[in-house]
Amino acid sequence: MKFKNFVIFCILIFLFSCSSKKSKQEIVIWHWMTDREEVFNKLAQKYSESKVVTVKFETYAPSDVYREKVRAAAQGGLLPDIYSPLGDQRELASFIKAGYIEDLTEYMNTGWKDWFFEAVLQQNTYKENNEWNLKAGIYGVPIDVVSIQIFYNKKIFEKLNLSVPKTFDEFINVCRKLRESNIQPFVSGFGEEWLIDVFSKSFEYQILGEEGMIKTIKGEIKYTDPRWIQVFELFEKMRDEKIFAEGIITMINKDAERVFATEKAAMALNGSWGINVYSGMNPDLKYDVFMPPKIANAKYPLRIWVSSSFLNVNPKSKFKQQAVEFLKWLTEEQQQIILSKETKNIPSNKNVSSEIESDVLKNFASNIDKSFPTLPVVENWKVIGTKCRGIQSIIIGQKTAKQLALELQKEKEKVISEIKLGSN
Amino acid sequence: MKKDYHISNALFVLPAVLMFAIFTIYPFVKTFQLSVYEWDGISPNMKFVGFKNYIDIILADKIFWKSMTNAGVITLLALTFQNLLALILAVIIDRGIKFEKFFRTVYFIPPILSGVVVGLVWKWIYDGNYGILNTILSYIGLEKCATSWLSNPKTALLSVAIVHMWKGFGWGFIILLSGLQTIPRELYEASSIDGADSFKQFYYVTVPLMIPIFFIVSILTILGTMQIFDLIYSMTRGGPAGATEVPISYIYRYMSNNELGYATAMAVIFGIVLFLLSILQIKISRKLKKV
Repeated sequence: MKFKNFVIFCILIFLFSCSSKKSKQEIVIWHWMTDREEVFNKLAQKYSESKVVTVKFETYAPSDVYREKVRAAAQGGLLPDIYSPLGDQRELASFIKAGYIEDLTEYMNTGWKDWFFEAVLQQNTYKENNEWNLKAGIYGVPIDVVSIQIFYNKKIFEKLNLSVPKTFDEFINVCRKLRESNIQPFVSGFGEEWLIDVFSKSFEYQILGEEGMIKTIKGEIKYTDPRWIQVFELFEKMRDEKIFAEGIITMINKDAERVFATEKAAMALNGSWGINVYSGMNPDLKYDVFMPPKIANAKYPLRIWVSSSFLNVNPKSKFKQQAVEFLKWLTEEQQQIILSKETKNIPSNKNVSSEIESDVLKNFASNIDKSFPTLPVVENWKVIGTKCRGIQSIIIGQKTAKQLALELQKEKEKVISEIKLGSN
Repeated sequence: MKKDYHISNALFVLPAVLMFAIFTIYPFVKTFQLSVYEWDGISPNMKFVGFKNYIDIILADKIFWKSMTNAGVITLLALTFQNLLALILAVIIDRGIKFEKFFRTVYFIPPILSGVVVGLVWKWIYDGNYGILNTILSYIGLEKCATSWLSNPKTALLSVAIVHMWKGFGWGFIILLSGLQTIPRELYEASSIDGADSFKQFYYVTVPLMIPIFFIVSILTILGTMQIFDLIYSMTRGGPAGATEVPISYIYRYMSNNELGYATAMAVIFGIVLFLLSILQIKISRKLKKV
């Protein structure tokens, strides 16, 4: 009898705890940004004090683990109110198609979208007739912005009397002088394919332009086209001039950051987050940034990689309206200033970019409009992988530009035939 | 009464059967089911493609087979050098040397360390910029041999294999040592009276009695090495230019890019290959036992 009473008591406690949770208005946000955890919690507390709704940020890191968690939760119908699928446009499109992401166009059209950098907002925006047949609209809210440029060590540059290179030839000359002084010119986390892609794209856009890139993705321009070979030949040139740091092709970005922070390389292709990283690794390091080199006689303007930490709203959330309101509050000027100051990231709200304290970050922010355009089509990941591994091979002298072009075209044709088979 | 007896028996077995069904049979069936579909892991709709994924992998995916070869090379090195080292050390310890317990503990430290941690430490050792290995080579006048061990396609796979063997020999050592200690000492005494020297004792007494243990160690080595991932991921991520790609890292790449059908088909093929290897080894071991 006693046992029976105990069981009933436990069931009642369980039911009570469940019901009390349901009646509470709590917005749950899943994110992967460990460096922003503290400030997010502060802002959540600030918001909860002024509103009826409480906000809870839950961090899941590293980003791989976060991605898997989101995918599993999507399958189980357990997504939180606000989250991000963390992926490219293709992956985002899959989430939207499956009904896991809310269309925010209606909210954004109330003037909200004017707060953001145009180039940044485009990354979660789908235009009419897009590759995925999605309804045109804005699907995400940018929280802050990151961009990739080339950091350089001011002390080394001053010591060797070097000026910041603007063109590719100047860049090569600077590298030559650095090598002559036994300093490794350039480092980056080229063990991570996406960083090779970012560097390569800054040349690709100059040589092929937006239209050329789209045509290549559609298969109308072959990778064996002389323009593509010209892109790969730039890497041959850089390899021959010994610009790359020792072991660059298996370095993850953390290793590359260490090489630059310990002054073992004079230049580093890295993101704006590097400001935080370098100040932690070597507070005395003096550096600034410059844009990737411009190719002489390039037909098209120089473009750089710009991205943003987006948050998306779960359309099945019980507190969808409140979730949107919170995101609007988070991107208001006051909160964006706090976020930028605490995290040293570029705010997504363009109206507060003048509030950025760091000169280097200001330099990053001033070039956001030069971002790679958001294309209506995305290259298949296998083709990108083949390209990046091919560039690695060029760097270590295993392949020539022409060999890579042929191999890449072969992979592209394979992917095209797979897509054709799939659609049949 | 008899019926009750059977019901109570079944009830006792039921939790284990349920656990086995949920955590072993269901994932196995689900994996096979996924492998005949094309699915991005997100969409509610999966497209049935039959055995297309299998055909593509077997006939056209050169990288998958290259990754199998890479894993095979590491496995072969581990089977020979790693297990040989383990055996030599086990024999030495079995002879009863000084500080036996100390060595036994030291040899077992690498296997209990996290693969990612070991990978990162060795990555540091191999580093071309500030690695200890190159510093030592320069110090002893072999600076010409210094290289970026993990970024050079000629040395990358061997460098990873060495770390894997260093990390794994402790398992073999412990199992072989426990096997050696089960061999009755009288056999050695009798063979000694018959005039057998240490080598003959090893060849005629130790080896035949250790065959089941060699078999277990080699099975564990093959299964463990073919599935190598943590070291690869933390040291090279499959690079440079795919030189250290192994099946699991390749499958992981497809999984990360939301090609779940193809990835699971690779996993099934990989599982079958491992299964066949184990069967082959069992057969070889049985033949050896008869000999």
